[in-house]
Amino acid sequence: MASVFLWLALGFFALMVVYRFVKISSMPLHLRWELYPSPLEPNNYGGSFMENVDFINKPRPHLALGGVRELASEVFFLKKVREHNRHGLWPFSLAMHWGTYLLFCWLLLSAAGLASAAHAVDLIACLLGALGCLGLIVKRATNRELAAYTAPVDFFNLLFLLAIFATGLVGWTGLHKTVFGLFLVYMPFTRLFHFVAKYFTFDKIFWDDRLNLRGSDIEKRIQTQLGYKVTWGAAHIAAGKTWVDQVMITDAREGNKQ
Amino acid sequence: MTAKRVTPKDMGRMGDQPVVSYCVKDLMEIPGLESEPPIPPCSPAWKEKYDMSLDGFAAIGFPKPKTKAEEDAICARFLSGLEKLFDPENNWAFCQPLRLSYDYCMKCQTCSDACHNYVGSGRQEVYRPSYRAEVLRRLWQRYFTPEGKLLGSFVGADVELNWQTVARLAESAYRCTLCRRCSQTCPMAVDNGLITRELRKLFSQEFGMAPTEVLEKGVVQQLKTGSSTGMRPAGFRDAVEFLADDIGERIGRKIEIPIDKKGADVLLLHNAGEFLAWPENPAAFAILFNAAGINWTLSSEPMGYDGVNYGLWNDDVEYARVVIRQAQAAKQLGVKKIVVGECGHATKGMVVIADRVLTGDLSGSELGRESCLPLLAEIVKSGAIKFDPRKNDFPVTLHDPCNFARSMGIVAPQREVARAICPQFREMAPNGTQNYCCGGGSGFAICNSYNFKSWRNSVGARMKMKQIMEAFDGELDPQQYPFKYVCAPCSNCKGTLRDAIGHYGLWDKHRINYGGLVELMVNAMVDMDRPFIDREDFH
Repeated sequence: MASVFLWLALGFFALMVVYRFVKISSMPLHLRWELYPSPLEPNNYGGSFMENVDFINKPRPHLALGGVRELASEVFFLKKVREHNRHGLWPFSLAMHWGTYLLFCWLLLSAAGLASAAHAVDLIACLLGALGCLGLIVKRATNRELAAYTAPVDFFNLLFLLAIFATGLVGWTGLHKTVFGLFLVYMPFTRLFHFVAKYFTFDKIFWDDRLNLRGSDIEKRIQTQLGYKVTWGAAHIAAGKTWVDQVMITDAREGNKQ
Repeated sequence: MTAKRVTPKDMGRMGDQPVVSYCVKDLMEIPGLESEPPIPPCSPAWKEKYDMSLDGFAAIGFPKPKTKAEEDAICARFLSGLEKLFDPENNWAFCQPLRLSYDYCMKCQTCSDACHNYVGSGRQEVYRPSYRAEVLRRLWQRYFTPEGKLLGSFVGADVELNWQTVARLAESAYRCTLCRRCSQTCPMAVDNGLITRELRKLFSQEFGMAPTEVLEKGVVQQLKTGSSTGMRPAGFRDAVEFLADDIGERIGRKIEIPIDKKGADVLLLHNAGEFLAWPENPAAFAILFNAAGINWTLSSEPMGYDGVNYGLWNDDVEYARVVIRQAQAAKQLGVKKIVVGECGHATKGMVVIADRVLTGDLSGSELGRESCLPLLAEIVKSGAIKFDPRKNDFPVTLHDPCNFARSMGIVAPQREVARAICPQFREMAPNGTQNYCCGGGSGFAICNSYNFKSWRNSVGARMKMKQIMEAFDGELDPQQYPFKYVCAPCSNCKGTLRDAIGHYGLWDKHRINYGGLVELMVNAMVDMDRPFIDREDFH
């Protein structure tokens, strides 16, 4: 019964991944807001194609592999936390993340019928995950700079995760599967679901330097969005007009003078 | 006195007592700095009229409401604006990045120490990059999410909304220079700089509220007169004529400064403030471009002679109004491309942000838009002008404007120039994309109302002053090293450095001066029979 629930929960989780991906993708195309260094650029010092005279007429090579490598180093090694976090979160966060990744590996191995390998992976997952969760709970409770920004729900989330790992460690397999299943249903409604967003925040915002050329798909999307209506309330803005109309006005306080 | 126990909830407490207050000894130490002016107390008259309860400083000057109805109106307007930030039509420009940064901050505080204001202030909590974002996030949760309404403080929705929360948030939006150094460190690519910008947008686009130098005396004035300086086309033409005469006297030969030359290859778009504060900068551009044989022009059309666009910092509507008129002015001249002079925000505004605003015959494929820095590097590399580096034989360091380095990835060209023509060039640390903001980014350089200048000098520019002192370590003695130069190819950075160098006495005590890149280039030109940089002049 627990196994069936877990697989159903996993299905729901997968659907939610797709749903969230589609939902974020369908938001309006934002203005360019890239941030350097970008791993897509061939220059290793952070330089971009904008360092070239007449860059619009020149090749602008990008390394897709650089982005994959950068995202992988974040997902699998939490590179930025290791390099920049001064509160000692990295080892615990890394352990918690790997504990979670290995839980999914456990499910895959189980599905493949590799029972003994699955059991071993589950055990490692639970050891790492429990250590990570405990460490993070202690850090967030005792470090004043972290505690001020940690809400009760954050502790609840960590305890929820800890419950998955703890039930696995003590060998309560049914409960282990049930708690994991419950977590998979719960997780999409929390910020723990951040791995979907991560693709967008890096690849579609920080590294998105695609130019808007005449006749391009980007231009078509922008032209559609310029037709949206503005309802901001400040006096210098003419509420109710589209963005296109809005920019023709110099100051709405002067009778929508164009 | 430091405010180490401050939490996001403190933004919602009532009363005039600032959430944080501090004095000079609480701030980050600058090694080698013997003394500095104290932070003057806040004027009682300002306190009576404006809310100064964030940190005792004001950039906006949020007027205190006089009645309960006014207080309620402030809160209602704030919530209305907050809702519009997440509306795909009202905020298509940034609603996706904002939504993601809002929803997925893991509150790990990995970003904190990247911030020059937070570290420079001795880690005052309200300047932590995630602080204002967290306050805003908790308010959003409390008023707009089912979990916040249902579970309240359990999910963190615990910040009280009252008129002072709003007033403090308004001021808080002007304690971050949007330099985005914190965003570089975030494992989730959450952008606290963007959240701050969007908070500014809420106040500008919903309340009509921003520092007067940015909105009313800035972009509104620019749209009315043609320039944020208030300079009209006739005034601009006079200024250029004066500049040509002045250069003639200075270098011993007359030079031509083309205006409104149809079909030129390049429209050079300066920050018009350069003509008033640092005329040697547009003068140096004219000398260089003429000597290099570039087919260039200035424009005297309204908006065509001022590259600034203060809407970049706080107001998408004003930003779009300005940039479209600037591009139209270039199009009317029939130039091939716009090259923006030494101004970071103007360059980012014109080259990057404009890219998804300008369409049709104003799009990038029809009208090029570039920074001047690659062109300057090409002038040096091509040999079109002969330079003698010995003319610049004094210590030089380089400040990377954030908008060039971090927001555009323009890092190498300015170094190629500096290394080629300055034998004593040295980097400051960190540099390039990892640079620290000068402290004047996102409009701070021009915000001088109330006591904001004091804050900018004491806190905002503090990290940059430390970097400069370290870059010239061992050469601070004014007798032995009578002239040192901080190269800052950006108008706002120069304005900040001018004030901060004065504030800390670095010119008087150590002979540290500042200026742009083109001044160094002209100073090193073989063809010049006299120095272009006056080593006794600090202005």
